Amino acid sequence: MEKKNQLNICLIGNPNVGKSTLFNSLTGARQHVGNWPGKTVEKKEGSFVHKGKTIKIVDLPGSYSLYPYTEEESVVSDFLSNDRSDTIVQIVDAQNLVRNLYLTTQLIDLKKPLILALNMNQSAEKQGISVNVVLLSEVLGIPVIPIDSRNKKSLIGLLDEIIADRKKTPSLKNIGFLPSERYRYIKDLVNKAIFRNKKPTVTGLEEKIDRIVTNKYLGIPIFLVIMLVVFQVSFSLSAPLENMLERILNLLAVDVDSFLRRLGASKLFISLITEGIVSGVGGVLTFVPVIGFLYFFISVFEDSGYMARVAYVMDFLMMKLGLHGKAFISLILGFGCNVPGIIATKTLENERDRLLAILINPFVSCAARLPIYVLFTGIFFADNQGWVIFSLYVMGIIVAILSGLLFQRLFVKKEASPFFIELPPYRLPSLTGIVLHVWTRVWLFIKRAGTLILAFSVIIWVLASFPAGVEYGSEKSYFGLIGQTLTPFFRPLGFGNWKSTTALMFGLVAKEVVVSAFGTLYKAGSSLEAALRHDFTPLAAYSFMVFALLYIPCIAVLAAIKKETNSWKWPLFTVVYTTFVAWIVSFFIYQGGKLLGFS
Amino acid sequence: MSPIIDFKKGDIVNIVSIDCGRNFNLRLSELGIYEGAEIKILKNDRWGPLIIRIFDSKIAIGKGEAFKIYGEKKPAEHMFDR
Repeated sequence: MEKKNQLNICLIGNPNVGKSTLFNSLTGARQHVGNWPGKTVEKKEGSFVHKGKTIKIVDLPGSYSLYPYTEEESVVSDFLSNDRSDTIVQIVDAQNLVRNLYLTTQLIDLKKPLILALNMNQSAEKQGISVNVVLLSEVLGIPVIPIDSRNKKSLIGLLDEIIADRKKTPSLKNIGFLPSERYRYIKDLVNKAIFRNKKPTVTGLEEKIDRIVTNKYLGIPIFLVIMLVVFQVSFSLSAPLENMLERILNLLAVDVDSFLRRLGASKLFISLITEGIVSGVGGVLTFVPVIGFLYFFISVFEDSGYMARVAYVMDFLMMKLGLHGKAFISLILGFGCNVPGIIATKTLENERDRLLAILINPFVSCAARLPIYVLFTGIFFADNQGWVIFSLYVMGIIVAILSGLLFQRLFVKKEASPFFIELPPYRLPSLTGIVLHVWTRVWLFIKRAGTLILAFSVIIWVLASFPAGVEYGSEKSYFGLIGQTLTPFFRPLGFGNWKSTTALMFGLVAKEVVVSAFGTLYKAGSSLEAALRHDFTPLAAYSFMVFALLYIPCIAVLAAIKKETNSWKWPLFTVVYTTFVAWIVSFFIYQGGKLLGFS
Repeated sequence: MSPIIDFKKGDIVNIVSIDCGRNFNLRLSELGIYEGAEIKILKNDRWGPLIIRIFDSKIAIGKGEAFKIYGEKKPAEHMFDR
């Protein structure tokens, strides 16, 4: 009877009550992150052993109620309505008992074994809150166990209760059905069960921080400065790691190459492995450090409570875009890399907002596009390099905004969802929680590199190495041929030469590959400048950079869009729409520039 | 009775009616903003969202929504009813 030794529990609670912290404390690294079937909501599962029993635990998304309002909450209510968990564990925040117990009354309605884990965090204690656990437990008819979600030792009582197997189905009488009736009941109960040594006040420090970071005039500049620091730190810390990864990959390619040669593998096969897979997948993997650092800072913001303040501060700007403050975070992240930007839209409430935020994200100029700008501005605009690059970033933002407005007219007609966000008390984030979070994110990215991105890389390799016998990526390869066929299409934009077209196609792997592709195609490291000067005028170079900024994002981004929208429709739409927009904008810049007498 | 956007920081407001559409009305009431509830205005600069206190949590609520939630100010001597 193996079954007896395994218990299934699910963890539920309001947002910001320490649910993830509890989950991490219980499972440690033994957790698995995936998606709920058919949904874009994340599913976290884990397991641990307590007194010889294996306990499998599902971490449900934070919810205020079982009547779903967000996609995450509909996952929760779907799950609970056909779930066979042995026990539901609700974690409640002792600081905010009234609102937390509202969900408890709904869970009691489910008539399933329920345990209340009363999270007495440090700030609750500082506020002088003490809870009469016995009274609470008696009135609600369910076990109430005080815990400290960060402290593993404090969880033993909870674990004992979980395996105690006292199947009792709770019920409450005469509590009414309407939220107002239930709140009346809960307030009565809490007045009896809670004792406060001090008056309920917001801690002075929180008040002070809030006064500054949510200030009408200071809020946005402060956020921008913080983001600037985040990017600086992320990029400077990840640069050496990235170089190291690249060096390892190069060595690997050489080793694999000679290994395969020794085995007598065919030249073609060796090229597939080294040029196709190792450099394709590897190229994407070199983003891992920067993505990891960006996630690190973002989770610090989220866990500390600052992110909610950013959403508050940016709301009035984003409203003009038909989005609300929470969407801003995803756009800002896009400057680092569009992949975390797109994944960050998970926090948005409804599908309309998410879709809108996802579709405009690729126009935000990510860091991988910078090498292209640096190459071209260095050659053609050496005197105004900074300003020219800046203008490209601004252009990306403008196109994102205009596209957002257009999409609203075209297909996401419904009005933006009403905005509300809880501003949780500031907390010191726990390092373990953040490291776990970063690790799961990065691991998901790596896994994707091993599947979708691998497939794309192979396709690109095939195009660059066939028909049989041609030199990799050369004029006679399919890639070169396609490049040549497409060249007339780019002539009105000022760069009608097959090499730049082919380089752009290589850019699909990752945008900075455009730079290395130029190197390969011109076969001239030192005379690349001369070669580019031969093929581009300054105006054409600017037009090319604009095109590189706006056209199809890299395959990692397309894969992220596929994953987050759960359909192929939107990555395909992105491919078509971005190419169209890039062409139109470059066209007007090149032709307009010519009319104005630039060359 | 006036929309809560008209109240100032520190005002304690008794909610009289809410007109945010069925779904959001329900969500608000589940957060504790129902007819008869008391909220405290923590920040209102008439520019971005409003920050209010409900029970023991701070919630920022969109300006658009703040126009559709009506209430009456409680006289100052009333302590915030928890």
